Amino acid sequence: MDALLSALLGALQLSAKLILIIVPLVTLFEVLRYLPVFRRAGNVVEPMMRGVGLTRDAAVPLFTGIFLGIAYGAGIIIRVAQQKGLPARELFLMGLFLATCHSVVEDILIVIGGNGLAILFVRLGLAVFLTGLMARVWKPA
Amino acid sequence: MSEPGTRVAAEESIPDIPTRIRTGLSAGFSTSLKIIKVSVPLYVAVTLLKGTPVLDLLGKVFAPVMGIFGLPGEAAFAFVAAFLLNLYAAIAVIAPLHLTPFQVTQCGLMMGIAHNLVVEGGVLSTTGARGGVLTLCRIVIACVAGLLLRGLWSLWEVASSWAMALSGLS
Repeated sequence: MDALLSALLGALQLSAKLILIIVPLVTLFEVLRYLPVFRRAGNVVEPMMRGVGLTRDAAVPLFTGIFLGIAYGAGIIIRVAQQKGLPARELFLMGLFLATCHSVVEDILIVIGGNGLAILFVRLGLAVFLTGLMARVWKPA
Repeated sequence: MSEPGTRVAAEESIPDIPTRIRTGLSAGFSTSLKIIKVSVPLYVAVTLLKGTPVLDLLGKVFAPVMGIFGLPGEAAFAFVAAFLLNLYAAIAVIAPLHLTPFQVTQCGLMMGIAHNLVVEGGVLSTTGARGGVLTLCRIVIACVAGLLLRGLWSLWEVASSWAMALSGLS
């Protein structure tokens, strides 16, 4: 009985931590996401995206995925990908990048007690390397 | 945030700030609730299992595989939770295990790459990309990243112990 009680207490603490991370994060995103800065950011990142074989059209779904994650950003990712009619090559490259490096904000915040910078460093490096490599292997038609 | 709960139109009229805060708070709370519903029972289950031989047995079986990445065998259970559900479920499993900072980082890295494979594979397929291939890629990439981090981390530890020894000499 004692074991169950302490387990429940631990679970409660974990839940409190999760709420404290998630609620402010989602609220901040809702407040900030209409800023024109985000629309203009596309111009800045375009040269970087060309390096991994992606065009401007993929910018919104790519960055939504990087910051928010695939499941949470699903609405935006699916919608934009279909609206812009992204070609199969770009969809694959974007998917590969996101597979390695997505929802970075959330993932780093919730890994309590780990080294977030090390995680970010390895994931970003690996994503750029792999996607860049595949972009050179799979030439645009 | 593991569920596509808040679907957002790409172009829409911009609501005012109080509305946005309200939307954010309610979306945040409902997302948290969804996560807690999964993580609380898992956390309790693992904590209770820790007192029994079940977790030890599971740990012994998976120890060789997990050992490659510098993790204890019990962490395998967390990987199952991460692959099928999400990071929150995995953390609920990890928290009672009391891992070292390196091990927590390693779990965060590998599971950050490969988690929620069922739902997210579906999302990627819906965009028209090859969901199955990408999901396989994620598992492979997670393993590669795990080996990479282990290498980098031990390099870092060697380097910092040398730095300490050097500063001790001078």
